[in-house]
Amino acid sequence: MSTMTTMINVDGISKAFTLHNQGGVRLPVFTDVSFKVEAGEALVLAGPSGIGKSSLLRLLYGNYRPTAGRIEINHSGRLLDIVSATPRRVLEVRRRTLGFVSQFLRVIPRVSTIDIVRDPLLARGVDGATATKRASDILARLNLPERLWQLAPATFSGGEQQRVNIARSFVEPAPILLIDEPTASLDTANRDVVVELIAEARKQGSTIVGIFHDDAVRARVATRHLAMSDFKSS
Amino acid sequence: MTIAQPASSFDADDTAPLLRATDVSRFYGDRVGCAGVTFDLWPGEVLGVVGESGSGKSTLLRCLAGLDPPTGGRIVFEVPAGPVDIYSLSEQDRRRLMRTAWGIVHQNPRDGLRMDITAGGNVGERLMDRGDRHYGRIRAAASDWLGRVEIDPARIDDRPRDFSGGMQQRLQIARVLVSEPRLVFMDEPTGGLDVSVQAKLLDLLRVLVRDLGLAAVIVTHDLAVARLLTDRLMVMKDGAVIESGLTDQVLDDPQAAYTQLLTSAVLTV
Ligand SMILES: Nc1ncnc2c1ncn2[C@@H]1O[C@H](COP(=O)(O)OP(=O)(O)OP(=O)(O)O)[C@@H](O)[C@H]1O
Ligand SMILES: Nc1ncnc2c1ncn2[C@@H]1O[C@H](COP(=O)(O)OP(=O)(O)OP(=O)(O)O)[C@@H](O)[C@H]1O
Ligand SMILES: [Mg+2]
Ligand SMILES: [Mg+2]
Repeated sequence: MSTMTTMINVDGISKAFTLHNQGGVRLPVFTDVSFKVEAGEALVLAGPSGIGKSSLLRLLYGNYRPTAGRIEINHSGRLLDIVSATPRRVLEVRRRTLGFVSQFLRVIPRVSTIDIVRDPLLARGVDGATATKRASDILARLNLPERLWQLAPATFSGGEQQRVNIARSFVEPAPILLIDEPTASLDTANRDVVVELIAEARKQGSTIVGIFHDDAVRARVATRHLAMSDFKSS
Repeated sequence: MTIAQPASSFDADDTAPLLRATDVSRFYGDRVGCAGVTFDLWPGEVLGVVGESGSGKSTLLRCLAGLDPPTGGRIVFEVPAGPVDIYSLSEQDRRRLMRTAWGIVHQNPRDGLRMDITAGGNVGERLMDRGDRHYGRIRAAASDWLGRVEIDPARIDDRPRDFSGGMQQRLQIARVLVSEPRLVFMDEPTGGLDVSVQAKLLDLLRVLVRDLGLAAVIVTHDLAVARLLTDRLMVMKDGAVIESGLTDQVLDDPQAAYTQLLTSAVLTV
């Protein structure tokens, strides 16, 4: 067994929101959270609604800013603190290391589904024909009807949009994948595909941190749970 | 999946910024236009400037773009020979730099186009500025660019006054991008256009910025536009930058009271 490689090192982070336009009320979410995620793990964040699971995931992506603490991300073999990194460096880490799979698709209205899925491949220098092929393959696996591929997803159903989003995120899985409720509006068959895609991403070397509301999915994906209630701010 | 990355990706911050603004201020008499603005912009980065009307966005952009000298501070641009303070250059040298290395997209296309010459002439003129004298090649490039901004190349000999507002704006963008600038300044590039035309233009800009690896500074009051087009954001109020960071950070986890007000005033961005 080779020595473990730390992919994420969360060191003493706290998060509170100050709502300046609502009388300056301070909303503490959690205090002094520390944990590590080793390469190959699939860590599932667990706890009741409102405990701060999504907030923690967003902190790992550099989307939210912690009130205190450090978050080191293994970027090309070196641990880099995403909290103090320049915006430019954070973008570089996201481009190469961090992928975020959210529940909702957010894209420019007019872009076609196939182009949305091709985009991350093109951004990483894959040639056009290969990108089209791989985008088509993953859309087919997610059972998205081919007649929709040339359309912009703005008018799609919630589940269809979610599958476009998943296709986009898994067509070239990042070394660290942060996943927030990816199966919320999917039927069982598509849920199974997502579980398979996660397993394949792990086989290819991805480390996973995720939130899954569905018990069955959670049981199949998780190698470890992190109970968020342990960090509850009082 | 590729895990291996070039070691150079670590040294991203060691490359020189394309544009360095240090403590840039401009006053109109006693009135503050903008004050104390400092930032660096690297190649390929798109910086958004947001804030309410009168907060100093256009004033700052005009200083940065070489159109109006700041009252204080420095604006340094990286040219092959090294960094130059753009306002230490002679007027003539600065104009040349602006024509060749920069592009400016005005909110009103009439300010950026020559309404009395043809669409092809508007695009081709920028290539002639750069020293290109081959008529056939200039016309071919103009025609190609009209196509890229989705104007039928058959309209190459029409004048911009016969175009719709959205077409004029796209023509202005073609005129700016044909000379392959490294840095583009845009002041409300989609202002005054209806929503479906805006969406089209935004998509076009996004693709062009990615394909050409442009750096850009985009002023907008529209946070949805900022979300779609920019990597980083500066929020201005009363002439000063009160918050800055990655665009999604500033919009999703705003820290300043004013930014929280701005982001809560819109339903979804
Ligand atoms: N941008 C924000 N501004 C203000 N408060 C926020 C923001 N994001 C989250 N919160 C608050 O932080 C707390 C934790 O929210 P979070 O979304 O992280 O919970 P969660 O565990 O993911 O819940 P759920 O299971 O319902 O998705 C909530 O009280 C929420 O209202
Ligand atoms: N030429 C000028 N002479 C005097 N005052 C000016 C001039 N140009 C701008 N100002 C003032 O400077 C301040 C900033 O104006 P500026 O045009 O930069 O704002 P802005 O953020 O671009 O606003 P908008 O969103 O309305 O375009 C305002 O108070 C404005 O009245
Ligand atoms: Mg959540
Ligand atoms: Mg203005």
